[in-house]
Amino acid sequence: MLDEAKEVCPTTTRRMLREGALLVDVRERDEIDGLAFDVADLVVMPMSEFERRCAELPRDRDLVMVCRVGERSLKATYFLMYQGYTRVANMEGGIVKWARKGFPVKGNLSAAIASSGTGCCGGAAPIPGAGGESTRAASEGCCAPQPKRTGACC
Amino acid sequence: MDIKVLGTGCANCRTTLALIEQVAQAKGVAVNLQKVEELRDIMSYGVMSTPGVVIDGKVVHAGGVPGRDKIEQWLVAKHA
Repeated sequence: MLDEAKEVCPTTTRRMLREGALLVDVRERDEIDGLAFDVADLVVMPMSEFERRCAELPRDRDLVMVCRVGERSLKATYFLMYQGYTRVANMEGGIVKWARKGFPVKGNLSAAIASSGTGCCGGAAPIPGAGGESTRAASEGCCAPQPKRTGACC
Repeated sequence: MDIKVLGTGCANCRTTLALIEQVAQAKGVAVNLQKVEELRDIMSYGVMSTPGVVIDGKVVHAGGVPGRDKIEQWLVAKHA
Protein backbone atom coordinates (compact mmCIF):
# COMPACT_ATOMS: atom_id res chain seq x y z
CA MET A 1 0.00 0.00 0.00
CA LEU A 2 1.10 3.55 -0.66
CA ASP A 3 2.44 5.66 2.18
CA GLU A 4 0.27 8.46 3.49
CA ALA A 5 0.54 11.44 1.13
CA LYS A 6 2.47 14.42 2.38
CA GLU A 7 0.17 17.40 2.82
CA VAL A 8 1.30 20.99 3.08
CA CYS A 9 -0.56 24.22 3.76
CA PRO A 10 -0.48 27.27 1.47
CA THR A 11 2.17 28.98 3.58
CA THR A 12 4.51 26.04 3.30
CA THR A 13 3.69 25.80 -0.39
CA ARG A 14 4.82 29.40 -0.91
CA ARG A 15 8.06 28.66 0.84
CA MET A 16 8.57 25.55 -1.26
CA LEU A 17 7.93 27.56 -4.43
CA ARG A 18 10.57 30.06 -3.39
CA GLU A 19 12.93 27.14 -2.91
CA GLY A 20 12.32 25.76 -6.39
CA ALA A 21 9.18 23.64 -6.20
CA LEU A 22 6.68 23.43 -9.04
CA LEU A 23 2.96 23.99 -8.53
CA VAL A 24 0.75 21.56 -10.48
CA ASP A 25 -2.86 22.70 -10.87
CA VAL A 26 -5.14 19.77 -11.70
CA ARG A 27 -8.36 21.76 -12.06
CA GLU A 28 -10.11 21.83 -15.41
CA ARG A 29 -9.38 24.71 -17.76
CA ASP A 30 -12.76 26.41 -17.34
CA GLU A 31 -12.14 26.57 -13.58
CA ILE A 32 -8.70 28.04 -14.12
CA ASP A 33 -10.16 30.61 -16.51
CA GLY A 34 -12.28 31.79 -13.57
CA LEU A 35 -9.60 31.83 -10.92
CA ALA A 36 -5.92 31.00 -11.22
CA PHE A 37 -2.82 30.90 -9.08
CA ASP A 38 -0.66 33.91 -9.81
CA VAL A 39 2.71 32.24 -9.52
CA ALA A 40 5.51 31.75 -12.00
CA ASP A 41 6.34 28.10 -11.41
CA LEU A 42 3.04 26.57 -12.43
CA VAL A 43 1.97 23.71 -14.66
CA VAL A 44 -1.67 23.21 -15.61
CA MET A 45 -2.52 19.53 -15.89
CA PRO A 46 -6.27 18.95 -15.51
CA MET A 47 -7.45 15.67 -14.02
CA SER A 48 -9.09 14.82 -17.35
CA GLU A 49 -5.60 14.82 -18.92
CA PHE A 50 -3.60 13.74 -15.92
CA GLU A 51 -3.18 10.03 -16.51
CA ARG A 52 -2.06 10.64 -20.09
CA ARG A 53 0.27 13.54 -19.36
CA CYS A 54 1.70 12.97 -15.89
CA ALA A 55 4.99 11.62 -17.26
CA GLU A 56 5.72 15.21 -18.34
CA LEU A 57 6.23 16.14 -14.70
CA PRO A 58 9.81 16.19 -13.44
CA ARG A 59 10.91 13.61 -10.89
CA ASP A 60 13.91 15.63 -9.74
CA ARG A 61 11.96 18.60 -8.44
CA ASP A 62 9.51 19.10 -5.56
CA LEU A 63 5.94 19.08 -6.84
CA VAL A 64 2.99 20.57 -4.99
CA MET A 65 -0.36 19.41 -6.29
CA VAL A 66 -3.28 21.83 -6.11
CA CYS A 67 -6.95 22.03 -7.04
CA ARG A 68 -9.94 23.94 -5.67
CA VAL A 69 -10.14 22.46 -2.18
CA GLY A 70 -7.45 19.78 -2.14
CA GLU A 71 -9.45 16.63 -2.89
CA ARG A 72 -8.67 16.03 -6.55
CA SER A 73 -5.08 17.05 -6.04
CA LEU A 74 -4.77 14.47 -3.27
CA LYS A 75 -5.84 11.82 -5.75
CA ALA A 76 -3.28 13.12 -8.24
CA THR A 77 -0.64 13.09 -5.51
CA TYR A 78 -1.31 9.43 -4.79
CA PHE A 79 -1.27 8.63 -8.50
CA LEU A 80 2.18 10.17 -8.84
CA MET A 81 3.32 8.26 -5.77
CA TYR A 82 2.03 5.08 -7.42
CA GLN A 83 4.08 6.03 -10.48
CA GLY A 84 7.17 6.25 -8.30
CA TYR A 85 7.38 9.98 -7.69
CA THR A 86 8.85 10.71 -4.27
CA ARG A 87 9.07 14.50 -4.28
CA VAL A 88 5.36 15.21 -4.32
CA ALA A 89 2.99 16.80 -1.82
CA ASN A 90 -0.63 17.86 -1.79
CA MET A 91 -1.65 21.39 -0.83
CA GLU A 92 -4.60 20.98 1.49
CA GLY A 93 -7.40 23.51 1.11
CA GLY A 94 -6.64 24.23 -2.54
CA ILE A 95 -6.87 27.60 -4.19
CA VAL A 96 -9.74 28.58 -1.89
CA LYS A 97 -7.52 28.39 1.17
CA TRP A 98 -4.59 29.90 -0.72
CA ALA A 99 -6.72 32.90 -1.65
CA ARG A 100 -8.17 33.24 1.85
CA LYS A 101 -4.65 33.67 3.13
CA GLY A 102 -4.15 36.56 0.76
CA PHE A 103 -1.75 34.78 -1.54
CA PRO A 104 -1.70 35.88 -5.18
CA VAL A 105 -4.49 34.83 -7.49
CA LYS A 106 -5.90 36.08 -10.76
CA GLY A 107 -9.59 36.12 -11.57
CA ASN A 108 -12.90 35.93 -9.78
CA LEU A 109 -12.16 34.93 -6.22
CA SER A 110 -15.62 35.51 -4.83
CA ALA A 111 -17.19 32.87 -7.07
CA ALA A 112 -14.71 30.24 -5.95
CA ILE A 113 -15.12 31.15 -2.30
CA ALA A 114 -18.90 31.20 -2.54
CA SER A 115 -19.00 27.71 -3.99
CA SER A 116 -16.92 26.19 -1.23
CA GLY A 117 -17.45 25.42 2.42
CA THR A 118 -15.34 27.05 5.05
CA GLY A 119 -11.94 25.45 5.39
CA CYS A 120 -9.83 25.32 8.48
CA CYS A 121 -8.84 28.93 8.09
CA GLY A 122 -12.23 29.96 6.72
CA GLY A 123 -15.13 31.65 8.33
CA ALA A 124 -13.64 34.59 10.13
CA ALA A 125 -10.71 34.93 7.75
CA PRO A 126 -10.77 37.99 5.51
CA ILE A 127 -11.10 37.53 1.77
CA PRO A 128 -8.57 39.90 0.30
CA GLY A 129 -9.05 41.10 -3.21
CA ALA A 130 -12.39 39.35 -3.63
CA GLY A 131 -13.51 39.71 -7.21
CA GLY A 132 -10.11 40.71 -8.46
CA GLU A 133 -6.42 40.14 -8.15
CA SER A 134 -4.82 39.81 -4.79
CA THR A 135 -1.12 40.10 -4.16
CA ARG A 136 -1.04 40.99 -0.49
CA ALA A 137 1.54 38.96 1.35
CA ALA A 138 0.08 37.12 4.29
CA SER A 139 1.84 36.31 7.49
CA GLU A 140 4.04 33.29 7.28
CA GLY A 141 4.61 30.49 9.69
CA CYS A 142 1.11 29.78 10.97
CA CYS A 143 0.95 26.41 9.35
CA ALA A 144 3.43 23.62 9.76
CA PRO A 145 3.85 20.89 7.16
CA GLN A 146 1.28 18.23 7.79
CA PRO A 147 2.09 14.59 7.25
CA LYS A 148 -1.60 13.65 7.45
CA ARG A 149 -4.95 15.21 6.66
CA THR A 150 -6.19 16.42 9.98
CA GLY A 151 -8.91 18.90 9.08
CA ALA A 152 -7.17 21.76 10.86
CA CYS A 153 -3.98 23.51 10.00
CA CYS A 154 -3.49 26.52 12.20
CA MET B 1 -12.31 -15.62 -5.82
CA ASP B 2 -11.49 -12.29 -4.19
CA ILE B 3 -13.12 -9.32 -5.89
CA LYS B 4 -12.63 -5.75 -4.80
CA VAL B 5 -14.68 -2.85 -6.08
CA LEU B 6 -12.74 0.38 -5.84
CA GLY B 7 -14.69 3.59 -5.42
CA THR B 8 -15.32 6.35 -2.95
CA GLY B 9 -19.01 5.62 -2.64
CA CYS B 10 -20.64 6.97 -5.78
CA ALA B 11 -23.75 5.45 -7.35
CA ASN B 12 -21.72 3.76 -10.10
CA CYS B 13 -19.58 2.02 -7.50
CA ARG B 14 -22.64 0.72 -5.66
CA THR B 15 -24.16 -0.42 -8.94
CA THR B 16 -20.97 -2.23 -9.89
CA LEU B 17 -20.90 -4.03 -6.56
CA ALA B 18 -24.53 -5.08 -6.88
CA LEU B 19 -24.08 -6.20 -10.46
CA ILE B 20 -21.11 -8.41 -9.64
CA GLU B 21 -23.06 -9.90 -6.76
CA GLN B 22 -26.01 -10.65 -9.04
CA VAL B 23 -23.92 -12.21 -11.79
CA ALA B 24 -21.94 -14.32 -9.32
CA GLN B 25 -25.17 -15.64 -7.82
CA ALA B 26 -26.67 -16.32 -11.23
CA LYS B 27 -23.56 -18.21 -12.32
CA GLY B 28 -23.20 -20.01 -9.02
CA VAL B 29 -19.70 -18.70 -8.50
CA ALA B 30 -18.53 -18.16 -4.93
CA VAL B 31 -16.94 -14.76 -4.56
CA ASN B 32 -15.51 -12.82 -1.68
CA LEU B 33 -16.72 -9.34 -2.60
CA GLN B 34 -15.22 -6.32 -0.92
CA LYS B 35 -15.70 -2.60 -1.30
CA VAL B 36 -12.63 -0.37 -1.07
CA GLU B 37 -13.51 3.24 -0.33
CA GLU B 38 -10.39 4.84 1.14
CA LEU B 39 -8.64 7.00 -1.43
CA ARG B 40 -5.18 5.81 -0.44
CA ASP B 41 -6.26 2.17 -0.74
CA ILE B 42 -7.83 2.83 -4.12
CA MET B 43 -4.80 4.68 -5.40
CA SER B 44 -2.55 1.85 -4.27
CA TYR B 45 -3.92 0.02 -7.30
CA GLY B 46 -3.06 2.97 -9.57
CA VAL B 47 -6.68 3.46 -10.53
CA MET B 48 -7.57 7.04 -11.41
CA SER B 49 -11.06 6.38 -12.75
CA THR B 50 -13.59 4.61 -10.58
CA PRO B 51 -15.30 2.27 -10.20
CA GLY B 52 -12.35 -0.05 -10.46
CA VAL B 53 -12.51 -3.82 -10.17
CA VAL B 54 -9.69 -5.97 -8.83
CA ILE B 55 -9.86 -9.75 -9.09
CA ASP B 56 -7.37 -11.77 -7.08
CA GLY B 57 -5.11 -8.74 -6.84
CA LYS B 58 -5.21 -7.76 -10.52
CA VAL B 59 -6.98 -4.67 -11.85
CA VAL B 60 -9.37 -5.82 -14.56
CA HIS B 61 -11.45 -2.70 -14.97
CA ALA B 62 -11.35 1.04 -14.30
CA GLY B 63 -13.89 3.74 -15.03
CA GLY B 64 -17.63 3.29 -15.50
CA VAL B 65 -19.97 0.46 -14.62
CA PRO B 66 -18.77 -2.74 -16.29
CA GLY B 67 -21.24 -4.56 -18.51
CA ARG B 68 -22.89 -7.79 -17.38
CA ASP B 69 -21.14 -9.62 -20.24
CA LYS B 70 -17.78 -8.44 -19.06
CA ILE B 71 -18.47 -9.55 -15.49
CA GLU B 72 -19.59 -12.96 -16.72
CA GLN B 73 -16.34 -13.30 -18.66
CA TRP B 74 -14.30 -12.50 -15.55
CA LEU B 75 -16.15 -15.00 -13.43
CA VAL B 76 -16.14 -17.76 -16.01
CA ALA B 77 -12.46 -17.28 -16.84
CA LYS B 78 -11.48 -17.44 -13.19
CA HIS B 79 -13.86 -20.24 -12.38
CA ALA B 80 -12.82 -22.46 -15.29
